[in-house]
Amino acid sequence: MTSIVIPRPEGYARPRSALLDWLTTVDHKKLGILYLYSTMFFFGVGGILALLVRTQLAVADNSFVGNDAYNQIFTMHASAMLFLFIIPVWAGFGNYVVPLQIGAADMAFPRINALSFWLVPPAGILMFSGFLVDGGAAQAGWTAYSPLARGLGPGMDLWIIAVILLGVSSTIGAANFMVTMFRLRAPGMTMFRMPIFCWTMLVTSVLQLLATPVLASALAMLYIDRNFGGAFFDPNGGGNAILWQNIFWFYSHPAVYIMILPGMGIISEVLPVFSRKPLFGYKAFVFATMGIGGLGFSVWAHHMFTTGAVLKPWFGFMTFMIGVPTGVKMFNWLGTMWRGSISFEAPMLFALGFLSMFLIGGINGTFSAAVPVDFALHDTYFVVAHIHYVLFGGSVFAVFAGLYYWFPKIWGRRLNEKLGQAQFWLMFIGFNLAFFPMHLLGLDGMPRRIATYSNESGWEALNMASTVGAFLIATSMIPFIVAVIAAFMRPKDQPNDPWNANTLEWWTTSPPPVHNFDDLPEVHSERPLFDARQSGAGH
Amino acid sequence: MAVTGMRRHVRRSLLLLTVALFALASIGVASAQVGTPKPITDEAKKIEDLWIFTLLIAAVVFVAVEGALIYALIRFRKRNDELPVQTHGSTVLEFVWTGIPVLIVIALFTYSFIVLRDVENTAAAEDMTIEVQGFQYQWQFTYQLNDLGVNADPAASGEISVIGTAAEEPTLVIPIDEPIEFRLLSNDVIHSFYIRDFLYKLDVVPGRDNRFVITARETGDYFGQCAELCGLNHALMRFKLKVVTRDEFDLWVAEQTGGNGESAVRRAD
Amino acid sequence: MAAHGIATQHKQGLSNGMLGFILFLASEVMFFGGLFAAYFIARADATEWPPENMLTAEQIARGVKLEVEFALPFIATILLVLSSVTIQFGVLAIRRGDRTALIRWLMVTIVLGLVFLTAQMYDYSQLHFRAGDTVYGTTFYTLTGFHGAHVAGGVIFMGVMLARSMAGQFSAASHEAVEACSFYWHFVDVVWIALFTVLYIVK
Ligand code: HEA
Ligand code: HEA
Ligand code: CUA
Ligand SMILES: [Cu+2]
Repeated sequence: MTSIVIPRPEGYARPRSALLDWLTTVDHKKLGILYLYSTMFFFGVGGILALLVRTQLAVADNSFVGNDAYNQIFTMHASAMLFLFIIPVWAGFGNYVVPLQIGAADMAFPRINALSFWLVPPAGILMFSGFLVDGGAAQAGWTAYSPLARGLGPGMDLWIIAVILLGVSSTIGAANFMVTMFRLRAPGMTMFRMPIFCWTMLVTSVLQLLATPVLASALAMLYIDRNFGGAFFDPNGGGNAILWQNIFWFYSHPAVYIMILPGMGIISEVLPVFSRKPLFGYKAFVFATMGIGGLGFSVWAHHMFTTGAVLKPWFGFMTFMIGVPTGVKMFNWLGTMWRGSISFEAPMLFALGFLSMFLIGGINGTFSAAVPVDFALHDTYFVVAHIHYVLFGGSVFAVFAGLYYWFPKIWGRRLNEKLGQAQFWLMFIGFNLAFFPMHLLGLDGMPRRIATYSNESGWEALNMASTVGAFLIATSMIPFIVAVIAAFMRPKDQPNDPWNANTLEWWTTSPPPVHNFDDLPEVHSERPLFDARQSGAGH
Repeated sequence: MAVTGMRRHVRRSLLLLTVALFALASIGVASAQVGTPKPITDEAKKIEDLWIFTLLIAAVVFVAVEGALIYALIRFRKRNDELPVQTHGSTVLEFVWTGIPVLIVIALFTYSFIVLRDVENTAAAEDMTIEVQGFQYQWQFTYQLNDLGVNADPAASGEISVIGTAAEEPTLVIPIDEPIEFRLLSNDVIHSFYIRDFLYKLDVVPGRDNRFVITARETGDYFGQCAELCGLNHALMRFKLKVVTRDEFDLWVAEQTGGNGESAVRRAD
Repeated sequence: MAAHGIATQHKQGLSNGMLGFILFLASEVMFFGGLFAAYFIARADATEWPPENMLTAEQIARGVKLEVEFALPFIATILLVLSSVTIQFGVLAIRRGDRTALIRWLMVTIVLGLVFLTAQMYDYSQLHFRAGDTVYGTTFYTLTGFHGAHVAGGVIFMGVMLARSMAGQFSAASHEAVEACSFYWHFVDVVWIALFTVLYIVK
C-alpha cells in the first residue's frame, strides 16, 4: 500500500492571539467547531423555550405564560430549533468532516465559508431581539402564515430579516459544499467512492441552493406587504391568502429533507463501523437520497390539504411515494447490520435510537398522505408528534450520534462511555414519554398552537405525561454536559482511528493538523481505511 | 474481561430497549380506551375506515421493521473479534424492497382516493346551507330562514345568527339525517373550522368560498374549535355543536325567531 | 489558500470559482422564480387584468390608474439587450488579450446600464399607481424593483472590473472575473426580457 504525499500549502502557520484567530479563521475545522458551539447553544435556548411550552400545557386552563407570550414562545422555539439549530448544525458537521472525508485541505472557498458562519449568530441575536421590541417576538408560528403575519408587530420584521440572513448563509454554504465535493476529492476518490455522509451533504446542498432562494422571495414579499403597503397576501387588494403557503412550503418541504438527510448520512457512517460491515447497497442508498431530494419538490401541498385550494390526489400520491426511497434506506441500514458484528458504543446507541424512532416518525407522516385522514389530523397534536419523531427521534439522535462519533477526531478526547449510555437511555425514554402521548392527543382532537385547553377536554393526563417526558429529556442533557466537561479536563489521548473506521478523516491525527493531511492512502473503494487495514498499511 | 463485560452490557441494553418498546406498545393499547373521536357523520365513518386500514398497514410495517431491527441487534451482536463476511449489497433485494413498498403505496393511495371522492362528493341535494363566519376570535353561524331544510318555508325572509363572544362559546345546532352544507367565510385571517367528531376540518380563508357537506347520524353534544393559528386568542375560538332531531331543530328555530319568522340575531348564551 | 496540490487533478473545464458563481446564479434564478410565481398566481386569480375592479374609492379618488407606458421601457429594453452584446465584445477582447478594448466596452456597457436605470426611475415617476395600489402595483414594483437592484449590482460589478482593468489586471490567460461579470450581466438581461414580456406585452 503506497500513500500519496501532499505538498504542504504555504501560509498556514500564522501565529496570532487565540481569540483573534477564532474570530478571523477561515479554517474549515475551526469554522465547523464554531458552528457546533453556536448551534448547540441555540438547541439549549430552543429547549428551554420548549420547557416553557410544556409547563404552560401541563395542566388545563393554565395561565402560567398567557396567550400572548405563548405564541411568541412556541414560534421562537421552532424557529430556533429549525433555523438556528438543526439546519446550521449540519453545516457544522459538514464543515468539519466533508473536507477531511474527501481528503482535501479545506473547503473550496474558505473565506465564503467564514461568511456563511458569521451570518448565523447575528441572525440569531436579531431574531431573539424581538422579545425586546414592542409587541414582542414573532408569533405567527415558524410557518408565518399570512395574512396573519402581515398584521403583527415589528418582531415579525426582525424574524423576516433574520431568516433571510440565515437563508443567504445556507445558500452560499451550499454552493461551497458542492464545489468542494465536485472539485477537491482525493486522487482515486470517484463520486461513487465518496463517503455516504458527503453524498447526503451534497444532495442537501442542492436542495438548499434551489429551495432557499424561493423562501427568500416569499420573505421579501411578506416584508413588502408589511412595510410598503403591498397586497401579495391581501385578498382585498387582489392578492391571495394561500400564496404564502404555496411558496413557503415549496421551500419548507424540501427543507425538512435538508433537516434529515445529513443525519441519515451520519447514521450511514456509524452503522457500518459498529457492525463491522460495509454499508449495504451503497449505490441504492445514493440513488434513494437523490430520489428523496427530487420527490421532495413535488409534495409541498400536503401541508395544505385543508385549504381546499390544492390538487389533493396528486400531492397525496407523491407524498406516499416518498416513503419508498426512505424505505430503501431503512432496509439498507438493516442489511448493513444483518450478519454483522454489532457493538453498542454510544454513537451506535444514538444511531439505533434514530432507526427505531425515525421509523415511527416516517410512518405517522404517511398517515397524513392519506388525504381524508389528514382532514382529521391536520393541525392537531398528531402532527406535533410527527414533527418531533422525525426531528428529534431522527435529526437530534443523529446529531448526538455524530457528536459521540467524531468527538475524538475533533477534540482528541473521547466522551465518557457510561455517561453516554446514561444520556441515551434518559433521552430515549423521556423522548417517548414526551411525544408519544401527542399522537393520542391529536386523535382526541387537541389542536396544536393553542395556549391552553379547557378542563372538560380530557386532555390533561396525557399533557402532564408529555411535560414530565420533556423534563426527562432536559435531565438527559446533564450527563452529556458532564461528559463534555470531563473530556476537556483530560489530555488529548485519542489515536488516529479509535473506532476502526472506514473513511479518510480517521487517517490523520486526532485532532488533525491545520493542513489536515501529511499524506493520504490510495483510494480504491468507499472504505479506504478498511482497505488500508486489510493490506496492513497505516500509521 | 472486555468481552464478558461487554456482553453483560449488551444484554442490559437490549433488555432496556425491549422494556422501552413494550412500554410504548402498552401506551398504544391504552390509547384505544381514551377518548378517540366518535365518527358522527357518514363522511366521518368513511374516514375512520380509511384510518383503520392505514393503521393496520402501518402496524404491519412498524412491527416488521422494528422487529427485524431488534432481532438483528440480538442475533448479530458482537461475540468475538472475527470480521464478519463483507457483503456489499444485493440487487435482487433492492428491487424487492423497492417493489413491495410501491405496492403498499398503490393500495393506500387507491383506497384514500376513493374515500376522498366520497367525502367531497357534494352532488347530494343539500337541504340547508349554514354560513360560518370566522373572525378574530370567535364564530358566527348564520341560517337563512328560507333555507332550513325539509320544513323550510321558501317564502320566509330573515335569518338566524348566532355570534360567539370571548365570554360565551356559541352553539351550532344542526338536524340529524339531513345533508348540510357549511359555507366558510373570513374577512381577517385564516381560521380553520374543525369538529373532532366529524373527523374533518376545512380552512376558513379570506377571499375564498370554501364549502363542505356532511350528514350527521348521531344526536348529541359535541365540540369544535379553530384549528389554524389566527393570533392572540386562537385557543379560545371554541364552540359547541348540538345535533338534534328534526322536531327539536324546528323548535329551536321557532325559539330563535320568536315564532314569527322575523329575522333574529342572537348572542350566544 | 484553498487546497492546492490535491485539487489539481480534477481541474478541467470551469474553474472552481466559475462553478461556484454559476451555482450562485442558479439560486438567483430560483429567487426570481418565486417572484414570477407570485405574479402569475395573482394574474390567474384576477377577473380582469389590470385589476381595476379591485381599486378602492380612496384609490380612485387619488387618481390611481393601473396602466404602464410601453414606449420608454421598450427603448430601455433594446438598450439593455444591446449592453449584453457590448459586454460580450469586451470579453472577446480580453480573450485576445486586448485590455484597451475591454476597458472601452466596459465603459460603454456601464453607460448603457446607467441609462437603463435612469429610464426606469423616470418611468416610475410617470406612473399613476404605487406599490400599495392592488396586487398589480405590488407585483409590478417588486419585480422591476428587484431587477433594478440587480442591474445596479451589475453596474457596480462592472465598475470593479473596469477599475481592475485600468489598474492593469486581466490578460488573455487570466480574466475569469470578467467572464463571471458577463455571465451575471447576461442573466440580468434575460430576466429583464422575461419581465418585459409578462409585464408589458402579454395582455
Ligand atoms: C426531519 C423532518 C421531516 C421529515 C424527514 C418528514 C418526513 C415526512 N413527512 Fe413530515 N413534517 C415535518 C418534518 C418532517 N417530515 C414537519 C416539521 C412538519 C410540520 C410542519 C408544520 O406544519 O409546522 C411535517 C408535516 C407533515 C405533513 C403535514 C401534516 C399536516 O399538517 O396535516 C405531512 C403530510 O403528508 C407529512 C408527511 C411526511 C412524509 C410522508 C414523510 C416521509 O418522508 C417519511 C418517509 C419514511 C417512512 C415512510 C418510514 C420508512 C419507510 C419504510 C419502512 C418503507 C415502508 C413504508 C411504506 C410503504 C409507507 N409531514
Ligand atoms: C429540531 C426541531 C425540534 C426539537 C429538537 C424540538 C424539541 C422539543 N419540542 Fe418542539 N417543535 C418543533 C421543532 C422541534 N422541537 C417545531 C418545528 C414545532 C412547530 C412549531 C409551530 O407550530 O410553529 C414544535 C412545536 C412544539 C410543541 C407544540 C407547540 C404548539 O403547537 O402549541 C411542543 C409542545 O409540547 C413542543 C415541545 C418540544 C419539547 C418538549 C422538546 C424537547 O425535546 C426539547 C429538549 C431540549 C432541551 C430541554 C434543551 C436542554 C438543554 C439544556 C437545558 C442546556 C441549556 C444550555 C444552554 C442554554 C447553553 N414543540
Ligand atoms: Cu381562529 Cu385560530
Ligand atoms: Cu412536508
